[in-house]
Amino acid sequence: MLVVNTETIPGYRVVELRGLVQGNTVRAKHLGRDIAAGLKNLVGGELRGYTELLTESRREAMQRMIAQAQQLGANAIVNVRFSTSAVTQGAAELYVYGTAVVVEPETAVAGEM
Amino acid sequence: MEACGLICSLLLILIPLAMALLVGSWIEHRHLRSIEQREAALAPMLVSDLGSYPYSASGGPPPQMIAAEVVIACDYFKAFLASWKLLFGGRVGSYQRVVDRARREAALRVLEQARALGYNAVCNLRIESADVGGNTQQSRMPISAVIAFGTAYMAQETPAPSRSLVG
Repeated sequence: MLVVNTETIPGYRVVELRGLVQGNTVRAKHLGRDIAAGLKNLVGGELRGYTELLTESRREAMQRMIAQAQQLGANAIVNVRFSTSAVTQGAAELYVYGTAVVVEPETAVAGEM
Repeated sequence: MEACGLICSLLLILIPLAMALLVGSWIEHRHLRSIEQREAALAPMLVSDLGSYPYSASGGPPPQMIAAEVVIACDYFKAFLASWKLLFGGRVGSYQRVVDRARREAALRVLEQARALGYNAVCNLRIESADVGGNTQQSRMPISAVIAFGTAYMAQETPAPSRSLVG
């Protein structure tokens, strides 16, 4: 499954459009991360707990989107975009969407001298 | 006795602030140094926010989307100082540095992942801020959560134009 955030894929041609696909997930951080983040707020720096929260959300949302595209019979997803929102303090929703298409490799026309 | 109590309570405020200032500044400085080093190491990569795959090379592995995120918080002392700024207005340099570091760090992670997978170019690099609920009434800790994503592809070996990741 080819996944890109552009509209086209060099070397491939879009044969068929299968529709909009999406995936989302809402994850809450657990108390341990919250306390660690509170301490980190004292000195600043990266909050790894929150970062991991976002990373896990992203992976799960992408998997759901890819599964939906596979159900539609597509072999590529183009123009993928992300969107996030905070549902409540400590829970973030990550939403990813794109267009599922069927692509095939472009037959090489060049080379004929 | 009263003066002693007053001094104690004053120290109770000042010591965490001083600690936050020292450690926070050191962390920020170290992070900035790390960012600059990694940006210099990734300079040969071709980065753009174009969707048209500039200098794309035929053959090679198909393009692939890569995403990375980072969440960075401001330290307590700077947030304390900045809260006064919020009353009077003006440019808040410390907040700006936090957002800048988060943005650059997220973009760097995308590029490093792309390079690890064997690509030498990234196009359509988008940098967005994610809302993780750090800015509520209770906690006014400035938190910058950034998601960066782009498409990694193989580019032709062209003489590299001078470009910088810094906005």
